Amino acid sequence: MMDVTLSRRQFFKLSMTASGGLVLATQLSACGTDTHSGEKNGVWHADAWVKMDAEGQVKFLLDRVEMGQGTYTGLTTLLAEELDIDPSLIEVQFAPADTRYRNPDYGLQITGGSNSLSSSWDQIRQSGAAVRAVMTQAAGRVWQVAPEECSTMDGRVVHAATQRSLNYSDLYAVAVKESVPNSLTLKDPADFKYIGKHNQRLDAPLKSTGTADFGIDTVVPGMAFAVVSRCPVIGGSVKHFDATAALASAGVKQVVEITSGIAVIADSYWQARKGLNALSVEWDEGENASLSTQAVFEQYKQMADQDEGDSRRDEGDIESALSNGDLVISAEYQAPFLAHATMEPQNCVAHVQADRCDIWAPTQGPDVAQVAAAKVTDLSLDQIFVHTTFIGGGFGRRLSQDFVAEAAEISAKTGLPIKLIWSREDDTQHDIYRPASYHRLKAAVSADGKLTGWQHQLVCPKILSWYVWDAAPAQFPWAPKFMYNTLANAGIAGEGVLAPEDHSPFEGAESYPYAVESVDVRYTHADAGVPVSYWRSVGHSQNAFVVEGFMNEMAHAAKQDPYQFRRNLLKDNAQAVAVLDKVVALANWGKAPKGVHQGLALHYSFGSWVAQVVEVAVEGTQYQVNRVYCVIDCGLAVNPDIVHSQMESGVIFALTAAKYGQIDIEQGRVKQSNFHDYQMLRMNECPEIVIDIIPSAQPPKGVGEPGVPPLAPALADALFSATGKRLRELPLSLS
Amino acid sequence: MIEFRVNGNTQRLDVEGDTPLLWVLRDTIGLTGTKFGCGMGLCGACTVQMNGQPIRSCSMPVSAIHGQEITTIEGVGTMDDLHPVQQAWIDENVPQCGYCQSGQIMSATALLASNPNPSDDEIKQYMAGNICRCGTYPRIQKAIKKASRAMQRTGFAESSPNLNYELATEVQS
Repeated sequence: MMDVTLSRRQFFKLSMTASGGLVLATQLSACGTDTHSGEKNGVWHADAWVKMDAEGQVKFLLDRVEMGQGTYTGLTTLLAEELDIDPSLIEVQFAPADTRYRNPDYGLQITGGSNSLSSSWDQIRQSGAAVRAVMTQAAGRVWQVAPEECSTMDGRVVHAATQRSLNYSDLYAVAVKESVPNSLTLKDPADFKYIGKHNQRLDAPLKSTGTADFGIDTVVPGMAFAVVSRCPVIGGSVKHFDATAALASAGVKQVVEITSGIAVIADSYWQARKGLNALSVEWDEGENASLSTQAVFEQYKQMADQDEGDSRRDEGDIESALSNGDLVISAEYQAPFLAHATMEPQNCVAHVQADRCDIWAPTQGPDVAQVAAAKVTDLSLDQIFVHTTFIGGGFGRRLSQDFVAEAAEISAKTGLPIKLIWSREDDTQHDIYRPASYHRLKAAVSADGKLTGWQHQLVCPKILSWYVWDAAPAQFPWAPKFMYNTLANAGIAGEGVLAPEDHSPFEGAESYPYAVESVDVRYTHADAGVPVSYWRSVGHSQNAFVVEGFMNEMAHAAKQDPYQFRRNLLKDNAQAVAVLDKVVALANWGKAPKGVHQGLALHYSFGSWVAQVVEVAVEGTQYQVNRVYCVIDCGLAVNPDIVHSQMESGVIFALTAAKYGQIDIEQGRVKQSNFHDYQMLRMNECPEIVIDIIPSAQPPKGVGEPGVPPLAPALADALFSATGKRLRELPLSLS
Repeated sequence: MIEFRVNGNTQRLDVEGDTPLLWVLRDTIGLTGTKFGCGMGLCGACTVQMNGQPIRSCSMPVSAIHGQEITTIEGVGTMDDLHPVQQAWIDENVPQCGYCQSGQIMSATALLASNPNPSDDEIKQYMAGNICRCGTYPRIQKAIKKASRAMQRTGFAESSPNLNYELATEVQS
């Protein structure tokens, strides 16, 4: 396996200074000395990611899961480019849990944070370049010429001088004995054949014929089906249960108590569901029995009064800016809890045996899934084998492994291979939610119309405080189980020192991009006991609404055009200005037809700048978004069509949340249950979406999430223009 | 014993009559292309066709389809023999996570069978019963238009389902 010693920053420096082919000095161990590489059963394992069989079939172990965002195509394209073969000829397999597949930015094997392309950009291209180098060396040996005289194209090594060529498959027997050279040359971007050009989704045929296997499609011989009854009150537990009637229900095999509730196991899903309906459970509702959404926000406001919070940004003199301002405006904003609502409900197949446990799951974190299964069995992490599948929507939900823990615990307690399926109601009411948040803002404008002070206090929980219990042990796979809680506690106590700092509460707010003399951003921690997690674009999902929403308010208060107002404060930020300029040109900003109202927002997240203009028509208390203009600078677009699709996806996901998204808690219970009361945008409400990508030669940045944040504040301002009503709470309702 | 046809094959099954067709297709017959999304007929992920009409299989008891002709995604076309709608889906890169797409395609083929040249608005209204959480709606719209043109150009005709096929005599008696 390659051990590339360059840090990403060094690499970026290099790539900016290198002209022509980029030579990377790498310390590569010879293929044969890596315990994972070499030939096994007629298959050559070049490294952790690439395998080839004697027929020349290249197999790519995809270590960033495919959940719609396009890694199946994008990462394969990186390999194909350097390997010089058509991406569609590569067979993609999902990688198992293994420390070699850890996401270099997190130290965990997780897919999230829109970084799959950016973090794999060097890694996978180098993998392809290494195999290409080996093939070239092998050909050189066969022809008795220097490898430097050979080139590659379409799965062949070519010796132009003598007009000879050999397919990779012809070279297999020689290549498996070659070592990877110590220095690899990556392609000059000018020579890219697939990167930036390839526009076909490799998984589209499978997904258009019903033949892509998702977690829920897993079939294991002898498996039984399980459903779980959980306490309707968040955090509650079982007090007493009577399984008599459930056990008498047709097909029910067993009823067992597990950590999260009571599991009913039957021959079929429907029989398990009917058995569960016959189950009688008395719950201990616990300390959240009277919790309500209203109480959560009251707690947040109380905390805001009591604790001015930790400073995240402190520039200039905010007190003086606010007291000397010609115009000073204050506002309160809030955002609700949200469910992820992946189309594929949570599910997992688990088979726990004496010496091993197999997990088939749609998971964003195979190594975190190992931890979840280890906690509920007698097995150690290396005895837990995670088989990942296609994933029916992730959006952060499947970073948490509660469904894996349940399935493994049920399998361990029944001795059966188990397919656990959550109902939509389970999925909505027992999700791990996007945190609700509360914000206080104050800003000042001088007599000459300049924004001089910006103050923002954020109140919400920390996601890491919840996630660390799942994730910390996965970072220390050698640690015995009795240390798991200690590791989590150390992660919380040592946040920012021992463990990475959790930026989720204030990301997108602390990075306030406008050139204002006095900026004061503070974070007040408050946690109401509702489990919270990562939700597509995470902190940006609410903070962009607040920051950009208030920026629009200030522009109107200063009687300035929201575009010009921003532009004047972004003079030194060429990237942001380019995105902003482009979107207003595209949208014909300020010249909307009669009856159509526009709103604008700009936001930076996951390495990418995105600006959007929303056009809305209002009738009474109803509104319809007709069109959304969206411009992104995401560095190099590896697959431009997937960037387009992710912008469409982000806009629709964000519009769904802006229009409908709300999880309410009453008596400790989540009120919403299914798509009738937790609504999704449907096709008849879908706006036209016009997208442009800023051309860039910079390494690729995020696209899966950055399309989400700007939509809500842009829509809020379009609604303000239409009605004069300033909406400061999500979802955006005119009634 | 319940008898019906799935993709032209007769199925005679001993299952509880209140079991939704979805679970019989997926778990008894093994056709997993049809997906579970909500269990209440709200999202359309489980859409199949009964005698050519789209139905939500998650809320259709299997007893109600005795003697009927069911078509699932597996019966629409295969990798080697794609339906024009599937071809258009691939050409337009419609799927993202892909989970809802079987249901989307079952609705789209039913739409084009009854209305070969739908307007944009007709497409939007007809497809409104199928949720896509990834937001592939703009591409579904384009793909249906494209498939519509292709089907008219090539004279593609859906093989019309046999609406009243004869039940096996032992089941009737």
